[in-house]
Amino acid sequence: MKTNPDAPVIALRGLKKRYGIGDAEHTVLDGVDLVIEKGEFIAIMGPSGCGKTTLLNILGLLDRADDGDYFLADRSVESLSARRHANIRSEQIGFVFQNFNLVPRLNVIENVALPLTYKGIRKTKRLQLASKMLQTFHLSEREYYMPWQLSGGQTQRVAIARALVNSPSIVLADEPTGNLDSKASHVIMEELSDIHKRGNTIIMVTHNPSLTTYASRVITMLDGKIDSDTKTLQPTVKVDTTKKRLDTHAAEAPKEKTLRSRRPAKRKTIKKGASK
Amino acid sequence: MRLLVLNHIQNAYDSLRSTRMRTNLTMLGVTIGVASITLILSLSGGATKVITDQVDELGGNIAVVRPGDVPQTTRLDNIASPMNHSYATSSLTERDMKAIRLVPGVEAVAPVMLVGGNVAAGNNSSSNTPIVATTPDLISISNLTVKDGQFIDSVTNRDTAVIGAQLSVDLFGTDQSIGQNFKIRGQDFTVIGVLKRANKPINYNNIDFDHAAIVSLESGKSFNQGVAQIQQIDIKATDQNSLPSVVEGTKKALGAAHKNEHDFSVLSGDDLSRPTSQLFFAVAAAMTAVAAISLIVGGIGIMNIMLVTVAERTREIGIRKALGASNGHITAQFLIESLAIGIGGGLFGYIAGYLLAFIVSRSVLTFDPLFSWQIAGLAIGTSVVVGILFGLYPAIRASRKDPIEALRQYH
Repeated sequence: MKTNPDAPVIALRGLKKRYGIGDAEHTVLDGVDLVIEKGEFIAIMGPSGCGKTTLLNILGLLDRADDGDYFLADRSVESLSARRHANIRSEQIGFVFQNFNLVPRLNVIENVALPLTYKGIRKTKRLQLASKMLQTFHLSEREYYMPWQLSGGQTQRVAIARALVNSPSIVLADEPTGNLDSKASHVIMEELSDIHKRGNTIIMVTHNPSLTTYASRVITMLDGKIDSDTKTLQPTVKVDTTKKRLDTHAAEAPKEKTLRSRRPAKRKTIKKGASK
Repeated sequence: MRLLVLNHIQNAYDSLRSTRMRTNLTMLGVTIGVASITLILSLSGGATKVITDQVDELGGNIAVVRPGDVPQTTRLDNIASPMNHSYATSSLTERDMKAIRLVPGVEAVAPVMLVGGNVAAGNNSSSNTPIVATTPDLISISNLTVKDGQFIDSVTNRDTAVIGAQLSVDLFGTDQSIGQNFKIRGQDFTVIGVLKRANKPINYNNIDFDHAAIVSLESGKSFNQGVAQIQQIDIKATDQNSLPSVVEGTKKALGAAHKNEHDFSVLSGDDLSRPTSQLFFAVAAAMTAVAAISLIVGGIGIMNIMLVTVAERTREIGIRKALGASNGHITAQFLIESLAIGIGGGLFGYIAGYLLAFIVSRSVLTFDPLFSWQIAGLAIGTSVVVGILFGLYPAIRASRKDPIEALRQYH
């Protein structure tokens, strides 16, 4: 793929996504315009059902938009085949999910090595790379553990290691800390900002405003549109609107920092489930 | 791609091993199908080989004339209407024998006339004894060996007979029965010779000579109002090379004698060694049907279990797709898994088929099953086809899953 070094990594123009047909039609994304430059750490915030996850899925080529343009490294992805999409996912995109999504049958190192399989890398080489990646996450001693033998924070670190093992240019994280307590959350966020410092582009969806401090740019979404963007608006405005929008949906979220219990996290899980 | 195939194989091995019971039961369907195929082929191959060996042993210069057109023994209605030839009057006559004898390159000609009836000596009787009326040439054509006494020849009396070793034991309790008297259809015959035990119940004459009583053609005709009722004419050519010309000459000579009515068939080589027993074909057809049905059932089993596997691993499919697997990768992954079930079943079936074949041949039959790469190839080929054919739909279904939907599925 030809890459223009000056071109933005991701450029969206009038992106629309609808679910359902006829009366039941529901517009999830209603004209999203967004330009993401290389090396940005973006946090996408917003209430449940505002289209954050859908946007992330489209960015990760797991879903297709109904309308609008999506340019990945200056190239429209609409026209590409499913096979090319798979290829781009394999070469350029790393996914981190809220519920970790490790393959339960495989042990830690095999899970981390999984993306390399689809790049056609030999098994020994795969395991070497995976082992090296796990080392940077201080998980060397857990290489042959099964996913269910790990704690939540460890599992998510494994998932991040897996997302990074094929050295993607873009890391997409869908509420990477959603299932973790605040201490583990901050460990994960430290890892992500480390990755960011190494030059990766990170796009993260989160409910937790306290985590936006790690991000270089915060985007708030509302009803399928971008409501505010720290890059285009004044920071003071951002804080106000964010607070206001989140009042009804995530009132307890700021308190979470002081509450060491898992209760707020649990409540958010329920809310997340309801939005699906 | 090669590396991915290795990876898929490893993957299939792991996933099949983790559901061992289920995999074994699914394999069983294919195993039964392939086992029956192997059983049929090895036994029919073994039977064919017995006759081929006999023909080769005789120098490969034997041809046989049978009444009627080439028997279509593979047709099902032939099996359903048993022995439709045996009630009909044979179209072969003594005149045909004489015509064949005049064909250049013919060394010897012997008729085989089977006479129905009881054989009895004292209180012992045997109703399923083949009573063969023939000429002295049969001994050289069919390579029979007389253990005691002599074979029938042109000067022996009409009321003399040569009997098989087993018949001798059955009738007289000994295989030293020269000079003893016994009755065929009430007529007295004297034993002038006992054949050496050959233990070849399957041969191109379709006669088990160990159990047979052989009388002269004249005696045979006397049981049939003086008319020869010839079931088969054996021809021996002077050597192997002249056999084709002998076959052609025989066809021409008989064609002329039968007013160009094609009511006979001249068999040589492989045609001769094809098993002709109706029962054999009935059993083979039944086994083939069993094999076909169980392969289909086994295949449906594979499809069923693969659909379950795909449903169970929906989330894994979603993860793999998100990590860069294309639809082709997912298809290949599940196809190799079903292929593994198919091939596993095929291997077990092949082994089980031969075990059964040996049990059957050692307990009921007199020959060993045939080993050949064709049978192995067919067994494995069939299982591969079943594995792929019935695995294709679940695999394609797996690959078509929407990654977002798949990732949403919780277990």
